[in-house]
Amino acid sequence: MKYILLMSGTKAGVDTYRAWSKKDIEGHMAVLVSLNRELTESGEFVATQGLAAPQEAKLVRGLANGLPVTDGIFPESKEFLLGYWIIDVATPERACEIAARISTAPGPGSIPTNMPIEVRQFAIHVP
Amino acid sequence: MKYILMMHGKRADWDEYTGWSKEDLQRNVAYMRSFSRELNDRGVFVDTKGLALPHEAKIVRAGQNGEPVTDGVFPESKEFLAGYWVIDVETPEQAYQIAARASAAPGPGGMPANMPIEVRQVLGSHSDLGL
Repeated sequence: MKYILLMSGTKAGVDTYRAWSKKDIEGHMAVLVSLNRELTESGEFVATQGLAAPQEAKLVRGLANGLPVTDGIFPESKEFLLGYWIIDVATPERACEIAARISTAPGPGSIPTNMPIEVRQFAIHVP
Repeated sequence: MKYILMMHGKRADWDEYTGWSKEDLQRNVAYMRSFSRELNDRGVFVDTKGLALPHEAKIVRAGQNGEPVTDGVFPESKEFLAGYWVIDVETPEQAYQIAARASAAPGPGGMPANMPIEVRQVLGSHSDLGL
């Protein structure tokens, strides 16, 4: 069963993260990199990606002539996708376990961030 | 440059979508299939996925002992990810053009749904954030 684990945050949340000390960021990343390695070894890893800063996000619609319009505005409260993991696991419980591991990645002062991770299964029929 | 094109919707939007006529749904899916095929033929296609219903989404945090806690509640206003495309293009403008095509997918009665598509660059590595 393939699941996607989504980490999201507001622009303000991203600004807070960027202000972390170098040591805190490195400590956070080390845990995530080691988790990726562990999932690769267990055969559950499919993919992971981080997204560029929300400041660069564009909202696009198509005009009648098919040309893109990029003047959409995001509300302050908008939860932007920061990154995701795709995993292939035997049970939904295992997907939640891995999400909890991501949630415990350390933040400032090595205290777990306890970030909420959204867990979603893929649709069976992909358009 | 890799970009992710994301389609979002609230639970209410899903309920509306699943209430479309069979003909409207088939037309929409046929458009999406041919769109993905075209991206593949152009050599810009990386991946596309549709996500299961938001009703099945779980929000997970770790409890004190590291065990997953899944009792989070999503607000009604929550925009759920419905599906995405990852593309590999030369310029951001190309990404916007392709997003506009996704936005033009037909809705009820064959009229373009005109869904907003969020366009974000995908990072090569964490150092791309400039941290």
